[in-house]
Amino acid sequence: MKKTVLFICTVFLASGLVSCIDEEEYADSPRGNFEALWRIIDEHYCFFDYKHETYGLDWDEVYERYSRQVNDGMTEEQMFEVLGNMLGELRDGHVNMYAPFDLSRYWSWHEDFPANFSDTLQRRYLDTDYMIASGLKYRKLDDNIGYIYCGTFNTSFGDGNLDEVMLALATCNGLILDVRDNGGGQLTAASKLAARFTNKDILVGYMRHKTGRGRSDFSGMEEQRLKPSVGIRWQKKVVVLTNRSVYSATNEFVKYMKCCPGVTVVGDRTGGGAGMPFSSEMPNGWSVRFSACPMYDREGQCTEFGIEPDHAVGITDEDFRRGRDTIIEFARTLLNS
Amino acid sequence: MALLTVSVAAGGQTDSTEYMRGYAAGRAAAMLEGKQESPSPQKIITNARMLGVGGVNILDTYISPEKYRGTELRYISHTTRMREWGTRVSRQIVHQGYVSHTENRSGDGDEIAGMYCFSYGAHYNMALCGGSLTVKVGGTLDADIGFLYNTRNSNNPAQARLSLAVSPSAIAEWRFRAWKRPFTLRYEVGAPLVGVMFSPNYGQSYYEIFSRGDYDHNVVPTTIASTPSLRQMLTLDFTLHRTTLRVGWIGDWQQAEVNNLKYHSYSNMFVVGIVRSFKTTRVSP
Repeated sequence: MKKTVLFICTVFLASGLVSCIDEEEYADSPRGNFEALWRIIDEHYCFFDYKHETYGLDWDEVYERYSRQVNDGMTEEQMFEVLGNMLGELRDGHVNMYAPFDLSRYWSWHEDFPANFSDTLQRRYLDTDYMIASGLKYRKLDDNIGYIYCGTFNTSFGDGNLDEVMLALATCNGLILDVRDNGGGQLTAASKLAARFTNKDILVGYMRHKTGRGRSDFSGMEEQRLKPSVGIRWQKKVVVLTNRSVYSATNEFVKYMKCCPGVTVVGDRTGGGAGMPFSSEMPNGWSVRFSACPMYDREGQCTEFGIEPDHAVGITDEDFRRGRDTIIEFARTLLNS
Repeated sequence: MALLTVSVAAGGQTDSTEYMRGYAAGRAAAMLEGKQESPSPQKIITNARMLGVGGVNILDTYISPEKYRGTELRYISHTTRMREWGTRVSRQIVHQGYVSHTENRSGDGDEIAGMYCFSYGAHYNMALCGGSLTVKVGGTLDADIGFLYNTRNSNNPAQARLSLAVSPSAIAEWRFRAWKRPFTLRYEVGAPLVGVMFSPNYGQSYYEIFSRGDYDHNVVPTTIASTPSLRQMLTLDFTLHRTTLRVGWIGDWQQAEVNNLKYHSYSNMFVVGIVRSFKTTRVSP
């Protein structure tokens, strides 16, 4: 019995001796917020190696350069500008800093390129009597080509919605799936839609995550597989329309679709955004978003900076003036040929 | 025939009248069947139901490097079972449920947590100081399930809490009289020694775990080194009219460092509740 008592006393003593599990809290000052933000990104961001190879990103050099610009006499607005510029070095649309008065962002992936999408032109094709199923706008075009516009994956459509859409367009000769200006949403919605275009379980890419604070601490590559839907599946030709504003979950959708049979991608390169974002926060309460779980195509190539279309097509000024969407017209030609 | 009688007593004392009534009924029933009864030791069940309110400090680096502080509300049902004679081992069953609302230091972020904890334990009882002091040593099997939800995060808005642990524990009860009234001062402490817990990996999303089924060290063996935690309760029982009340303090300090993620939840709260004792008698034919 004495041994038992001694053992239990030892356990409590040991638990008291073990240090508290705690995390360093930085001061809520410009310096403290700068240090906290740099460290959050340093320990969690997932594309340091890839971006070092691509354009020479050196996060330690970024620290040195921006640290010199921080002093505790700065106003909130000045601090926001410096920290926002520092995050801009990552060239990542998934990296944002949310202050009550502004949102820091890097949107060059679409702002520096032609839009290649116009809702004015799209209205010419959709007209006014198109149908809407849980956010999916669809109709039959004059040449018996089905047209679906998916503007977001934030709305999760159900299998019933997709069955109805597929059934309504079943008699069409081909299908245009327009995801231009779709900035993303839920990956589950993207895979649910893509699952309508494969009859087999196919490898569509890889995904992994960080396993520690080190910049190269990653898990193994886990396969992303697309399983065919048990609902109505499309068996004819499909053309997916893309532009630079196709981002995040929609970038993933295009990646999935490129693996499906009978699918052609037409338009501009996608915007990218191949890191599933996580959130964190700074001492002053500003929220931070960053890429945390990188995703790759089936060749293991990173799609952070976008996916090339099979046919690079942009809307020409002449077509725009004539009310024609060059990309849709190109897709119709492909499907009718 | 076996007859089970339960006597309920307020004030932490067995109501002998009611007990005897049940005992006599059992005896009469046994006589009617022409059988002799041989009463076994009575089982004494002491149940305390308490409500606690206090402060909590939560850190979960999967969600935020910032600590969240706020208020926790807790319900505790604490039951001890012991036979009057024949054994020195008592059994203990504890159910705890709590919710908390916390904020970060800037006041811009909120977290909501909820947890249910079940504990089943056995203790060896030692009477000291002429019976006025009882020291119990033993262990408990603790199962916890709960969540932590951050109201503004994107793909890491919540953490699931699921753990199982074996915890050595000790209890000291000192019964004394003051102002001609009986009091019981009670201290209970437990610390997890070994166990298992669920945790996502450092930067792993719940999408990978639950939508894709990509597991990566999500069931983690734990020891006192990775989960140095302590649950303590210091209470005073006193009688008011025919009711025994319990007031005291709970210090529940849970910590874990697994998969390079840090977690702590420090709760300190005032508790108040009612204590009831039951005696269960089995009369065998």
